[in-house]
Amino acid sequence: MSKQISSSGHDSGVGQINRPLLRAAKKLNTMLLASVFGGVGGLSLFVMTYVSLYRGLPNPGNYLNLLGIFLPGYSVSPSGAWIGLFWGGVIGAFLAALFYRIYARSIESQLQDYIANDKPEKDLLGITLRIDGNYLGLAVGAIIAGGLVVTSNWLVFRGTAAESVHADLLSNYLPGYSVSFMGSLIGALELFVFTYLACLIFAWIYNRVAVLRGGELG
Amino acid sequence: MRNKADTDKAILMAAFAKIDVIALAVALGSISALMLFLATVGLLLKGAPPGTEVGPHLALFSIYLPGYSVSWFGAVVGALYAGIIGGFLGFVLAVLWNLTHYLYVVAIVVRTAWWRMMAE
Repeated sequence: MSKQISSSGHDSGVGQINRPLLRAAKKLNTMLLASVFGGVGGLSLFVMTYVSLYRGLPNPGNYLNLLGIFLPGYSVSPSGAWIGLFWGGVIGAFLAALFYRIYARSIESQLQDYIANDKPEKDLLGITLRIDGNYLGLAVGAIIAGGLVVTSNWLVFRGTAAESVHADLLSNYLPGYSVSFMGSLIGALELFVFTYLACLIFAWIYNRVAVLRGGELG
Repeated sequence: MRNKADTDKAILMAAFAKIDVIALAVALGSISALMLFLATVGLLLKGAPPGTEVGPHLALFSIYLPGYSVSWFGAVVGALYAGIIGGFLGFVLAVLWNLTHYLYVVAIVVRTAWWRMMAE
């Protein structure tokens, strides 16, 4: 049985949710996650660019260069790698912040569980994160599906939809997808479902392994 | 019944809960392996018109994953690669996540101690 938290910030039972503390906790994790993903995103694109550049192929970055359509200034070149580092950082941080703002809703449901169930007290730093597959799927699915709509329609807006043969290849996995407004919506819906299911599997594996390793999930 | 201090503690537990590094590595590795395996097998089952190559664009992964190809054997090789890379990425993300939280806590403790010392 779980108690509902009212919009005024107090639950209906004795325990009260400290809204400012909850907001501060969400803000902190948003900042930290954005930092981590910004760093990893930027460095990943930087390394991929250099790997592509020095792989010794006759036409380096033939396909990676296509990212320049979405990331102004980016190309597979030494200077492009630095621009990629910047864009990878910015986009990684933005998507991570967006992700956490959606996923953080699971904290409230975990708090409701905590209030409803008299679990024994735990050591603050000994708790292992429990991943909520439902919220993870909603957050990642929404971001990836939204990304597909934005990037597809960016190609339509540029007037290069007919030339976007590589983007069109997604129809191999997303039947009905095409580089058009309607096609992007159909593809986004399918991608959301696939991503949501993948996140459920991912969360299930993570939680199972964490429990098997003796972790006490929060 | 929980009092206010308990629920405050619960909020902090939710915010500062550490990620199980191995569990995240296993989960991300498994899902990455499954994705690349299914992506390869999906193209193989779909096939290609006679005389044309199956999945020439997905085969470009071989630039980063030597030995990978759009074939049944390549699907297994790709799954292994994706499992290792996904696992490594999961490991790094979990370590960075936990590290940033520890550093943040350390920064708060040091700052508090500093101000206490200055006040005395």
